Parts: sequence; C-alpha cells; structure tokens
Amino acid sequence: MIGLGIESTAHTFSCAILEKNGNKGKILSDVRKIYRPPDGEGIHPREASRHHLEFSPKVLSQCLQEAKIKINELDIISYSAGPGLGPCLRVGAVVARSLASFYNIPIYPVNHALGHIELGKLLTGAKNPLVLLVSGGHTMILAFLNKQWRVFGETLDITLGQILDQFGRSIGFASPCGKNIEDLALSSSNYILLPYSVKGNDVSFSGLLSATKAIVSKSKADACFSLQETAFAMISEVVERALAFTGKKELLIVGGVAANKRLSEMLQKVCKRHTCKFFIAPAKYAGDCGSQICWTGLLESKVKQGVSLKDTFVTQSWRLDSVIVNY
Amino acid sequence: MKLLRKGAEADIYLTMWDNSQAILKVRNVKKYRNPILDAKIRKQRTIKESQTISLVKSFGISTPLVYYVNLKKSSIIMQEIPGKPVHDLPNSKIIELSKEIGKIVGVMHKNGVMHGDLTTSNFIYYKNKIYVIDFGLSQNTIKSEDHAVDLRLIKEILNSAHAQIMEHSWKNFLIGYKSIVGLANYTKITNLVSVIESRGRYATVI
Repeated sequence: MIGLGIESTAHTFSCAILEKNGNKGKILSDVRKIYRPPDGEGIHPREASRHHLEFSPKVLSQCLQEAKIKINELDIISYSAGPGLGPCLRVGAVVARSLASFYNIPIYPVNHALGHIELGKLLTGAKNPLVLLVSGGHTMILAFLNKQWRVFGETLDITLGQILDQFGRSIGFASPCGKNIEDLALSSSNYILLPYSVKGNDVSFSGLLSATKAIVSKSKADACFSLQETAFAMISEVVERALAFTGKKELLIVGGVAANKRLSEMLQKVCKRHTCKFFIAPAKYAGDCGSQICWTGLLESKVKQGVSLKDTFVTQSWRLDSVIVNY
Repeated sequence: MKLLRKGAEADIYLTMWDNSQAILKVRNVKKYRNPILDAKIRKQRTIKESQTISLVKSFGISTPLVYYVNLKKSSIIMQEIPGKPVHDLPNSKIIELSKEIGKIVGVMHKNGVMHGDLTTSNFIYYKNKIYVIDFGLSQNTIKSEDHAVDLRLIKEILNSAHAQIMEHSWKNFLIGYKSIVGLANYTKITNLVSVIESRGRYATVI
C-alpha cells in the first residue's frame, strides 16, 4: 500500500511517500521546505502560509519524482489536520483535498502529535514505550493505555521548544533556535542558579524564561548553558518520575527538541538508572516531516475508510489524548 | 542493607533503627544534573520532606515517624509502613478509598499544606488506614491556586494510570474533599482546576 502524507502545521511544508507492507513501512521519499523568519523574529502565520503555498507544487512534484511514483498510483492521501497554525494547516489541507477529489483517492486527516509518535515507533522499533514528545508545540509524557495515549505529565504553560525559541530570539537568533543555543552553551560551564519548577509530573517554564532573560547581559553563553541545564534537568526529572510510576521499560523521545544532544545524553543516563531501553527518533525524522503524517494515515487505513471531502477539517486545538486509536 | 525500590527521586532501603525495621530514603547524586543544581534540589527536598512529614501528623494525618535526618547525605531514616501503595490495590478498593484520600488532601489544604506530588503511589494502605508519604515537593501555602495544582495532578494520574475507574474515583475524591474544605472553598478550587486545565496546550478553546 502506498500513501502520500502532507505536513504543514508550522514552519515546515513537507510531502512524503511511504510504502506499507503488513506492519513494515518504508520511506520512499520525504521532501521538505522550511520557512525561516528574519533573525530575532518568530513564525508569522500568514508569512509562513504564503511560503507553504509558494513551495507546495515544487515539494510535491519532487517528492513524487524521488519516490518514482505517479499520483494515480497512490492508495491514500493523509494531511496534518492539527494542532498547529490555522493558515499553515489550511495550505496542507487544500493540497490534500485537491489531489483527493481530482484523482478520487481516499483522504485521511491526521493528528500531528500522534504522527510524531507513530513514526518514532516505526523507525526505532520501540514496542510499548513511555513517550517524551518535545517540540515547539508539545511537551508531554505519554503512555498508551486502552486505545488512547494518556498524559502522565506535561507543561503547564509554554513548551520546551518555545522556551528555547523565545529566549533565542531575544538574543537575536532566528526560530528555530535550538541548535544555536546548544552550540553557544558548549562554550560555557558556568552554571547560574535559575528557577526550577516541577509540579508533580508537570513542569512550568515561564518563570525560567524570564529569569534567563534577566541574566543574559552578563554572558550569553552562561545564560544558554544554565537555561539548558535547568530546563533539561526538569524534563529528566519528570521523565524519571513517570518511568518509576508506570514501570515502563522503554523510553522513546520524539519531536524537534529530540535533536538536542545534551538532552538525549541526560535522558540516556536516566534510562540507565532505571534499566530501561532508550530510543530516540533519528535526527532527520525527529522534527516535523511528511513521513509522520503519511505513516499514521497508512496505519489508520487498516481500520478506517477515508473521510468524505465535506468532513475533512483543520483545527488549531486538537489534544492528542482525545484521539481514539483503533489499529 | 536491602534496596527496596529505586524511586524517581530517591532510593529506598530497608534498614534497622533502634532494633526495629526502618526505611532509609537516600536522595543520591544525579549525575545527569549539574552538580550545583543537584546539591540544591537534594538538600531542599530532604529538609522539606522531614519538616512536612511531622507537620501534617499534627493535623491527625497518618505519616511515617521520622527518626533521623542526615543533610550531608540527603537521607532520612523513617518508620516502615509495610502496607501496599493504593496504586497496586484492586480497582474497587481504589474507588472506595478515593473518598478517604479526598478527605486527607482536604485536611492538608485546610491547614495550609500542599503535597505537591499527589499520585496513587504516595498513599500507603496499611491496617485499614491510609498513610501519606513523599513530601519532598510539598509547600506551605494557603493559595487556592496551589491547592488546585494538587487536585489537577491527582486528576491527571487517575485519568492516565487508572483510566477505567477515573469517573467513580474522582467523584469520590471530590465528595471527601468537599466534606472537609466546605462548599465555598470547594467551588473556588475546583473552578481553578478547570482554569489550569484550559491553560493546557491545545485544550479546547471555547
């Protein structure tokens, strides 16, 4: 079975083609174009959606070319329906609807967060993991129980990706800033105490953000280093709590911030302490990509017919723990 | 010494104190954490835990007796409660005990203590009594918002680890809680729980 997946929740517009054989999936192509705002600025939803519109034909045809697949050979089309930025989501949905109606191909709206997890499971081989989803849109610890992903801990305000981006922008980087902060942090080992806020299994980053901005005038490198150390220690602690509480023997990290080496180093140590297997989505597929959407659509097609065009939708708010997983 | 459990925060050993069995709780160095931050967290929580464990006892809540605190090693020796965590009890029992747990949480809040880590593993059922443990994240606070954070956490745990019995058990918890804090506080705090939930990522915006 061959599927096309279209991702356009935030800064990335991506198309991917995957082939599914039983429970095995193979990525035939995954093409992306990422919107870059000017230095010091965040994603402007309208500008990002214009970017996606402009590049969508190119990305789509390159994706088909690389996979050596013609549109009429596709069995299904899936698109990310949320959560994300409305104007950006609409671009992906319009592309998906147009193809689906013109070529009469079944269409599947997919939850973007679920996509991160399913692709992570496919690529790492994790069976029954505790999942840490860390990105610009999510900071959640999840485990699967009774047809739904249940939240064991999450952020009470901004996400891990947001604190890195918002701080990064305040010192002149362009979003996404994770890599710049990580690089600058390597040049310091001078830790400055910052607010550490763990509430049970949940975290809160807003106080940490303000406090980091307040120490930046002394040294940007120290601030980046201390921010990473504090925020990642908070994440590691809640992961450790959830591991101890659920007794899971696998940890899977997905989402854009999974690419950060310091974070994965810390979480690897946590896993060692709890004799738990450590899985991390490969850097290339940790962040937003069409493959995550395509694979989830293919999984859903096992148990569901596509939706009819009039029922296709996009939504900015769509919590992962409200999705029923039947496959 | 026998290692009983590797918790998230601390390792739990079985030891002897004054010729009887006791629990040794050690907050060991976490190598993944920056040493300055690590030392601060371990010391702060050891102090907080030993203080609150004794404080809430004076409200009539059952907690282990603290025998000895070693701040240098971030360790506490305390009474052993040989019962079972509520988390491991049969569903019907958890539903039944939820009311009592609600009462206990109500008494803590009424006396200005927030537990900070209300999970079903931190209530031990022993000889028909519920003991509360793990006060490392507790705070002395009379703010309704803080109390609501406590309630939200136990709700989150029921909703995830005990999804099948969530409705019954949460209802019973609230009945118990209301009977202690009174209708006015109950209404205020449960409304705040909804406010915190609505702040959650991608919660349905009305």
